[in-house]
Amino acid sequence: MENNRAFVVKAILWFVAGLGAAVALLRFTLGLGTATALSDTTPWGLWIGFDVMGGVALAAGGFVMAALVHVFHREKYHDAARPAILTAFLGYGAVAVGLVFDLGLPWHIWHPIIFWNFRSPLFEVAWCVMLYLTVLALEVAPVILVKTPFQRAYRFLTKLALPIMILGIMLSTLHQSSLGTMLLIMPFRVHPLWYTPLLPEVFFVSAICLGLTMVLFEHLTTSWVYRREPNGPMVEGLARLASFGLAFYLLFRLGDLFRQGKLGLAFDGSFMGNLFLVEIFLSALLPMVALAVPAVRRSPNAVWAFSLSSVLGFVLNRINASGLSQVWATKTFYFPAWMEFAISLSIVAACALVFFFIEEHFPVNPHHLEKAEAERRAAALRTPAFAPFTQVWLGLGWRKAARVYSLLFVLAMAIGLTVAPKGEPARDPAVQRARGGEVLRLGAGPRYVYFNHKKHADSVKEAGGCGVCHHLHKPGDQGTPCSECHSRRYEATRIFDHDRHVAALQGKAGCGRCHGEGAEKSLTPRKPCEECHKKDMVASAEVVKSFRSLEAPGYRKALHGMCIPCHREKAKDPALKKPDLFRCGTCHNDGTESERAYRSLFPEPGEKAGRS
Amino acid sequence: MIENPCILTDVTRCIGCEECVLACQKANGLPEAETPPRPGDPLDGLDANRWTTVVRREGNRFVRKQCRHCLEPACVSVCPVGALKKTPEGPVIYDKSICMGCRYCMLGCPFGIPRYEWNSVAPSVRKCILCYENMKSGKLEKPACVAACPKEATLFGTREAMLAEARRRLQAEPKKYIQKIWGEREAGGTSVLYIADISLDFLAWNEGRQLDEKPLPARTWAALWPVPIEFVGMGALMGGIYWVIERRRRLAGAAPEGKEGGHGE
Repeated sequence: MENNRAFVVKAILWFVAGLGAAVALLRFTLGLGTATALSDTTPWGLWIGFDVMGGVALAAGGFVMAALVHVFHREKYHDAARPAILTAFLGYGAVAVGLVFDLGLPWHIWHPIIFWNFRSPLFEVAWCVMLYLTVLALEVAPVILVKTPFQRAYRFLTKLALPIMILGIMLSTLHQSSLGTMLLIMPFRVHPLWYTPLLPEVFFVSAICLGLTMVLFEHLTTSWVYRREPNGPMVEGLARLASFGLAFYLLFRLGDLFRQGKLGLAFDGSFMGNLFLVEIFLSALLPMVALAVPAVRRSPNAVWAFSLSSVLGFVLNRINASGLSQVWATKTFYFPAWMEFAISLSIVAACALVFFFIEEHFPVNPHHLEKAEAERRAAALRTPAFAPFTQVWLGLGWRKAARVYSLLFVLAMAIGLTVAPKGEPARDPAVQRARGGEVLRLGAGPRYVYFNHKKHADSVKEAGGCGVCHHLHKPGDQGTPCSECHSRRYEATRIFDHDRHVAALQGKAGCGRCHGEGAEKSLTPRKPCEECHKKDMVASAEVVKSFRSLEAPGYRKALHGMCIPCHREKAKDPALKKPDLFRCGTCHNDGTESERAYRSLFPEPGEKAGRS
Repeated sequence: MIENPCILTDVTRCIGCEECVLACQKANGLPEAETPPRPGDPLDGLDANRWTTVVRREGNRFVRKQCRHCLEPACVSVCPVGALKKTPEGPVIYDKSICMGCRYCMLGCPFGIPRYEWNSVAPSVRKCILCYENMKSGKLEKPACVAACPKEATLFGTREAMLAEARRRLQAEPKKYIQKIWGEREAGGTSVLYIADISLDFLAWNEGRQLDEKPLPARTWAALWPVPIEFVGMGALMGGIYWVIERRRRLAGAAPEGKEGGHGE
C-alpha cells in the first residue's frame, strides 16, 4: 500500500516551507524592522531563542548517541545513532540558516574566522558551530558516500570514524555549555530563577537529557510516519536512561537554586515563578516520574507523549533563559510577529524534508532503505493519479508527489507575499485633534501639553495675530488646526493633492498654469504656490518663508519647531523676567494652571495625570 | 587627545534645553529626522540618530543619557568579532565593517544604551563615541555636547579631575546633593559620572538590580578561561573510557555484539 501518511506530512512541510520563502524575501529586502517584532528593548527574539538556542539543544541527540554507542559500546542503541547524528547535522545547519536570518549584516557571518575576541562567549559559540558542523558533515558523509562512486573517500572516513566521533563529543560539550555562558553577562536582565553562575553546567546537563528524549521522540515519530514497528528494547532502554538523567538534572537545578537561596521565588505566584514551575514540570518532573514506570516505557505512545513533553519543556527552558525570563527586567512583553514564526517553522520543515529524503534514499538504516526502494518500484507500476478537483493528470509515483508539493509551495509563497506588510512602517500613530477652548490639550497621553491658546493669541496680537502660528489654511478655512496637515506623530505627510488641482484647473488653464508652457515647461511647478494661495499662506508666519516642500513634517517635529525658537527668544528678554521659558518643563509639565483650567472644563475621572 | 577622558554631568544644573542633543547630531552628521519608536522601544529619546538625550524626571529634573564608556565595557567583551573597541585613550568606538549584526552588545550593556537601525537593510549599532574621531584629529577640543551646554551642567576632563570636581561639589553643598557619584564604581566604573539631588538608579537596567561593582566581563571570563582545559579533558575522558571498555571486551574474549549488558547508568 502506498504510504499516505508520509505524503500528507511532506505536503504540509512543503507548504510551511513556501510560507517561509515568502517571508525570507521580505526579511532581506525590507530589513528586520518589517519582518520582526524586535525592538531596542528586546533585541533577541524567537529566532535566537528557538532557532539558535533551541536548535543547538535539540541537536544534542547527536553527541549523546555518539557517546553511548561508539564510546560506551551500548550496541542496542545502534539503530538510533545514525538518525540522531543526521538530525544533529541538520539541526546545526538550521542554526546556521537561522543566524543568517537574525544577523543584521548576514554577509559578515564568516567574520569570526578572522576577527577574534577570546573574551566573547559568542566567539566560542561561533567557532563551535563551524567546527562541529564540519565534524557532523564528516560523520554523516559515509552514509551518503556509500551510494556514490567515491569508495576510497568512504573507506578513509569509516577508518577515521572514532576520532571524529570523540572530537564531536568534545566540541558539543563546549558548545552546549557556552550557550549558557552567553547569558552570564546579563545578571540584570535574566531573572534570578534562571541566572546562576552555573548556567554553562545547567545548559550542558539539560542538553544531555534533551538529547535522550529527542532521540526517543524522533525514533517514534519516524516509525509512525513510515508505518514501522518501533525498536522496543531500545525505546525502553533510552526511556530508562532519560528518567535517570532527568532526575539528576532536577536535583542539580533545584539544588543550585536552594544553595543560592532563590528557591522561594518559584512559589511566589508571580508570572516568572509560574513560568519556572511550568518549565520544570514539562521538561523534567513529569517525564522523569512517568518514564520511571516500566509499564509506561513499554507503550510507544506513552513514551512518545512524555518525551514530547520533555522536548517542549527544554525548548521552553532555552526560550525562557534567553528571552521570556528577561521580561522581568524589560517590563516589555515581546510577542513574535507571525513572520518570525513562519521562518522558524519553515526552517524546521526544510530540515524534516531533507531528513526524510536522506532516510528514503540513503542507508541511514539499510533495512529501511530496502523497504523504501521496494515501495518506490511498486508505486511506479500503479495507475496514474488525477488531481481530485481539476482532474488534471498528475503523473506517476514521485512525479505526482513533486507536482503536489511544488503547487503547495508556490501557493504558500503567494499567500505569504499577499499577507505580508509592504514595508510601510505603519506604526506612526495618528494625531488627535486638539481639544478644549481657551486652553487646548495637544499631543498624546500621558504627556499632553496643556496650551493656553488665549494667552498666546493675546501675546501675538501686535506681532501679526493668528498668522504668527497658523501659517497655512485649508482653502476657505481660517486658523486650520495643526493636526489637519501634521496628521502623523513622527513622520511627514504629503499634503499636496495633485488630483484635486487637476480637477479644479481643468477647464481654465490646464497643466500649464503651474508647470509652465513651451520652453518653460517643467515637471517641477514653475509658479510658487502663494501666487494663487495668497489668502491661505499667511505671510506673517516664519514658516511660510521657507515653505518649499509639499510635505508637512510629523506633529512632534512641527510643534517643537514652532514653540521652541520663539520661547528661546523670549527667554533672553530681560523685560519678561521669565528665563525658564526655554525648558522642556515649561510646556511638558504636570499640575500647571493651564492643566487645571482644562480639567475644570473636561473632567475625566478615569484619566490619570501624566507622569514621565 | 587627553588620556582617560570623562564627562561629569551635574543634574542639578541641567535645564533640559537639549542643546547637547542638537550639537551631537550636528557633530556626528546624524540626520535630524525622527524615527518613530517601535512598539516596546524604551521611550527615553535615545535612538539610532540621537546618541544622547535628556530624560525628564519628576520634579522637573533633567538627566542626560548617553554611553558611559565603561572602564571594562561589557559590550566590548561580548562582541564576537571585536567590532566594538575600547580605544587606548578610553572611548568605546564601533566599526561597522567588522560587525555581524548579532546585537549581543545591546543585551550585554547594563545601561541599555546601544540602539539599532531596525528599518535598514544594512543596519548598524549606534551609540555615543565620545566624539573620538573629532577629538583625535583635533577638530574638537571636547565632546560637542559638553561644548554646547549653556549651563555648564556637563563638564569634560580626565576621569581623575572629574572625580575630584564631583567630590568638591558634594562637599561644598552637602545638603543639595545626594552623597554619591553615579558611575564611580558601578560595573567596574564608567567614564561618564553623575551627581544629582535625585536617585539616578533608574539609569541602569532594571534599576541596577543584580548589578554590583564587579566588572561584568569577569562573570563570563570565569566560565571561558577553563574552556581549553575542558576541551582536552573531555577528549581524554572519552578516549580513556573507550580504551578501558574496549580492552575489557577483548579480555572477556570476543563478547558477541548486541548482547551488551542492557542498561546504562
